[in-house]
Amino acid sequence: MTWIAFALLAVLLILPLGRLLWASLLDEGGGLTLVHYRDFLAYPYYARTIGHSFLVSSLVTLAALVVGVPVAFILARVHLPGKAVLTTLAILPLVSPPFIGAYSWILLFGRAGYITSLFQTIGITIPTVYGMHGIVLALALNLYPFVLLMVTGALRALDQSLEEAAQGLGSSPWRVFWTVTVPVTLPSILGGALLVFLTAFAEFGAPMIIGEGYQVLPTIVYSLFVNEMGSNPAMASTAATLLVLCTTGILLVQYWAVGRRRYAMSQLRPIPPTRLRPTVQWFCAGFVYLVVGLSLIPAIVVAVTSFFESRGPVLYPNFSLGNYREVLFNVPRAIANSFLLSSLSTVLDVLLGTLIAYLVVRRRSATTAALDSCVMVPYAIPGTVIGVAFIVAFNKPPLVLTGTFMILLLAYFIRRLPYSVRAGSAILHQIDPAVEEASISLGVSPLKSFAKVTARLMLPGIVSGGILTWVQTITEISATIFLYFGAWSTITVVIYRQVSSSNFGSAAAASTLLLVAVFIPVLAVTWVMGERAATTV
Amino acid sequence: MGAILQIEQLHKRYGDVAALAGVSLTIQGGEFFTLLGPSGCGKTTLLRSVAGFLRPDGGQILCDGERLDRLPAHKRDIGMVFQNYAIFPHLTVFENVAYGLRARRVEPTEIRRRAMDTLRLVQMEALADRRPDQLSGGQQQRVALARAMAIRPRLLLMDEPLSNLDAKLRVEMRTEIRRLQRELGITTVYVTHDQEEALAISERLAVMNAGRVEQVGFPWDVYQAPESAFVAQFIGTSNALAGRLIATDDDGPRVDLGGWMLRARRRDGLAGQVLAVFRPEALSLAAEKSGDSDATFGEAVVVSREFLGAVLRYRLRLDDGRVIHLDEHKPVAARLRKEGVRVRFMVRPDDVMLFPLEESS
Repeated sequence: MTWIAFALLAVLLILPLGRLLWASLLDEGGGLTLVHYRDFLAYPYYARTIGHSFLVSSLVTLAALVVGVPVAFILARVHLPGKAVLTTLAILPLVSPPFIGAYSWILLFGRAGYITSLFQTIGITIPTVYGMHGIVLALALNLYPFVLLMVTGALRALDQSLEEAAQGLGSSPWRVFWTVTVPVTLPSILGGALLVFLTAFAEFGAPMIIGEGYQVLPTIVYSLFVNEMGSNPAMASTAATLLVLCTTGILLVQYWAVGRRRYAMSQLRPIPPTRLRPTVQWFCAGFVYLVVGLSLIPAIVVAVTSFFESRGPVLYPNFSLGNYREVLFNVPRAIANSFLLSSLSTVLDVLLGTLIAYLVVRRRSATTAALDSCVMVPYAIPGTVIGVAFIVAFNKPPLVLTGTFMILLLAYFIRRLPYSVRAGSAILHQIDPAVEEASISLGVSPLKSFAKVTARLMLPGIVSGGILTWVQTITEISATIFLYFGAWSTITVVIYRQVSSSNFGSAAAASTLLLVAVFIPVLAVTWVMGERAATTV
Repeated sequence: MGAILQIEQLHKRYGDVAALAGVSLTIQGGEFFTLLGPSGCGKTTLLRSVAGFLRPDGGQILCDGERLDRLPAHKRDIGMVFQNYAIFPHLTVFENVAYGLRARRVEPTEIRRRAMDTLRLVQMEALADRRPDQLSGGQQQRVALARAMAIRPRLLLMDEPLSNLDAKLRVEMRTEIRRLQRELGITTVYVTHDQEEALAISERLAVMNAGRVEQVGFPWDVYQAPESAFVAQFIGTSNALAGRLIATDDDGPRVDLGGWMLRARRRDGLAGQVLAVFRPEALSLAAEKSGDSDATFGEAVVVSREFLGAVLRYRLRLDDGRVIHLDEHKPVAARLRKEGVRVRFMVRPDDVMLFPLEESS
């Protein structure tokens, strides 16, 4: 079993990445060369995208911290009306694809945006949202929940006694906050920040839609690949290799900086929320409502727009189902593809991920430990890189997959496999191995015991992990945009193309359908499982 | 009568560490047998080898003459009670107990009867429909017991089943376990590191250390006549003083403890440096004049005392700085010795056991 997993990883990971690296090192004559790397770094048009990527990711991270940390502290520590609903709503941005967020900010602040036009009618020209600041705005509001979740998790894991002890030692509440609470939550803040940084760095959709001329690494990879002047696979491979080097570096920094430095206490008596002076209380409430409200604006704007009458980029505020009609009649196949592909790849991820998790947790050996490390590799690889690498690897024998359904399925499968393995092992760690042994000693064969006991006990975790995998897969664009072909288009591709050709009405309808498809299962999981589920995102 | 369990020359290594270094034991049908030892002594490895969760490197395990070690775990017909109970959290109490019967394809009405009978035995029939998370630790323990017993196994294995219960419940449950085991007559192997529990519950016990069996015997013998310094020190509280064996004359051996002579129980084959071991209760505070001519008398200073209820335990410092314990039974307030006071104590030769010194290391 372990060896099948290794073989799978070799074909779906080592082979594509190896071919990618190889493609970036070959000159026209087939000789080995570093000329592409030299070119990439020598031409400012290419080279600056590296700087752009780091700048955008840093700004997004900074914004996410400024917003996420206070919201986390307020949600954990201050009495707020409607806190449960607020906590659930706050995670929704995480599951909505950033390119929909970017698109909705264009609907508001774009060249023909609602707000832009509004100001124009009264004779004021406001700057548009395109470019770097647009990317930062869209991504910050999309990704800040990572910080929020990590920090609330850390705050919940603190026992009352810790702060009481500090107070008992004669510290003022303010001093306790700065000398105990903040240092103890710092690893989680850092962890959340690096997660935001990595995700922003790998993000393709939002910069593509709202960045216009402002290119970052993932978008330059795409541009190089589909250039009007003829695609340039060698340069695209070079950019993709540089991109993967950067994300791997960030991930290593994350391991080094955060590592296992987490504080957790058993026998929890979490610190209860406090009541503050009414003015402070209302200020805190206002801040949280504002942030959560802002982060939900994209979904609301898109949903409202979808019911407007539209002619190309022009929207009329009359109620109409025309956009839905158009989407459902013109691209039913893409919608069906999205559901089919994400469901199939989720099933594969869950099956193999659970099995690998079981091997890694319950059959500890040097081999399974190596498998555990290998299976996490896709986590560091942006979708854009998977896209290019799969094309480079599977467009010639021995394995020709380009243009097929399989290439999308396999790309989705490998991208999300680490998450399934993590979800599986997280829950396995909570199940006493003796429970399975008890079943065996009562006369049930090991295989049946696994099915009747361990698998059964893992089920809630597997289901919630599976739903999150599904959600992440159906909103995938960065690998899809390279790999889809003709009939195998997906709903995300449809949205992207409609936005690119300024068909805002049908883009809104397709986006709304996608958001509904994503929000319903996520809300169902949070409702059934409590907030625990959200932390597995 | 329960099955006879024979363990022959069992070996198991983990890297450089021998978890089992040739263990042989014979456990009689229906016997309640305990494996006692400190953590890492191999007792759990032995138990798990019998259960079939571990494959020993060598040796054999026979149950009524049949090679048990050649059967997979689920075909061994062994009931096991785990340290954390390992109750199936998704099944009710009744379903937990019925689980093994269902695996044996017992008829449904028979399953119901036998599961309920077993639950009655552990006084849990009223809670048959409860979920495990609604049960207390003691109740979960009873379910775990019932589940293992319901299948009427050839052997019952228990791996520190009481270690998660509080002190009072632990004493109650061990009496209960013993009663049930007697009633059903199942050969039982019980693992614990708690020597008091082992003495209280076992018919016979094996003291294990570093992968070997140090001594097998009845609780009484193991306590009274330990065969090694390890057993003497592991079971009960012991004073152990190193000294030089002087002579074995007609009055028995004497040990030079540096300044004073301690007379000891006879034992052959010893010379040179020895370890003299005696229990705190063997010591008593001596009146100024005592008529006991055999006893050794000594003097020491009271360091501290611990009042344990039935016993008052003194810590005494000898003149050479070594500290020993002395238990006074039925302590009388009027005769309390204060800290810092010099006292005279006595010990009878029969209560002082000698062991070669290197054994204790």
